[in-house]
Amino acid sequence: MMSIKRRRSAADDFDSFFEDLRSEVEEWRNKLVERPSWNLKASTIEPLSDLIVAPTEVVVTVDLPFTRESTLQVKAVGEDALEVSAKMKRKMTFKDMGMIHQVGEFQKFHFLSRIPVPVQMKKMKIRFKKGILEVHLPRKSGHFEGRT
Amino acid sequence: MSEINIVEKSQVSSGAVMLFCFPDVGLVGVIAASHLIEELDLAEVAQVESSLLPPLIVLHEGLPHSSLRIFGNRDALLVVSETPVPAELVYMVVDALVDWGRKKKVKMMISMSGIPVQDRQDLKELKVFAAASSANMLETVKAKGVEGLMEGYLVGPQAIMLMRCAQYGLPAVALVAQCFLNYPDPEAAAEVLKSLEKLMGLKVDTAKLLEKGEEIRLKARDVMKRTQEEMSNMKKSQEYDIPMYVS
Repeated sequence: MMSIKRRRSAADDFDSFFEDLRSEVEEWRNKLVERPSWNLKASTIEPLSDLIVAPTEVVVTVDLPFTRESTLQVKAVGEDALEVSAKMKRKMTFKDMGMIHQVGEFQKFHFLSRIPVPVQMKKMKIRFKKGILEVHLPRKSGHFEGRT
Repeated sequence: MSEINIVEKSQVSSGAVMLFCFPDVGLVGVIAASHLIEELDLAEVAQVESSLLPPLIVLHEGLPHSSLRIFGNRDALLVVSETPVPAELVYMVVDALVDWGRKKKVKMMISMSGIPVQDRQDLKELKVFAAASSANMLETVKAKGVEGLMEGYLVGPQAIMLMRCAQYGLPAVALVAQCFLNYPDPEAAAEVLKSLEKLMGLKVDTAKLLEKGEEIRLKARDVMKRTQEEMSNMKKSQEYDIPMYVS
């Protein structure tokens, strides 16, 4: 079968521009619009997290108390996002957390984060200690974002 | 009518030690306060009311309460806020509380909080430091086995409390335990309570607090998130800064 390589057209550039714009807007919407830190349908809770862009690496930490370590999954989503999920040691209900006007239970943490600079996902290193997940992602060389 | 009102609900004793616990790094103060209230069975004696505060109440057993309250017994008056105080109101709120404490003739003011440390999860032992309102007070604190916080920055309600007490000549101490910046830290809360015990001779069992640590971290997630936003407004990360001492 012959593969046909299509040249990148102006329409492709437009599509790409609007796709970037859409994802930026989505990111801002998530920041600006308040939403609960849990998802009842998926029985998940969003953990606290932090992201540091260091000169040579990006370090993402995620607070995962009550986690069964053997269920911890960290995976790259494309080149610029990271997805973390982990099961809790036991199910937690709203009642366990002092709320009786909501009904539902949680058994998993779920977290998705966009990585703001180019990184080498394949060289990802992870560490889990005292319920804190630490993900180290080496930055791609030649992509220094700061000012010199 | 003052902009910040402290409404007493029951008799408030004179000559107690006044404790300040505000949402801050690692939620150290709030976690410690919650444990103290339970362990010492402290009753709510007053609440802070102000139209300047966010329109928010805390419901406990179906009844409304201010998010900023004072609990106490004969020996201690504990100020605790369940939500972060907006940065622009910190001076006003702390000034009102310090003035109220002076009227109640409190013998000392102590804040409990944290100080962020990098690679916190690698630390086996957490240190607690103290800053004091006077040289004498600092010596007293050191003599009781708490290390002095000699140089650096303090940001937030405890900073203003300490400064005001220094101005009024009222003995005061700001206790800070090494902790996570952005994650609830019950271990740090337990450490700060041990130092409080050294200063006040107040016996507090922290075993239960450590036992429930993971559960507390889970429950405190949302408060921590709100606190992170306010810490950012307050430039809390300045506590990481290397001080430039100007003599």
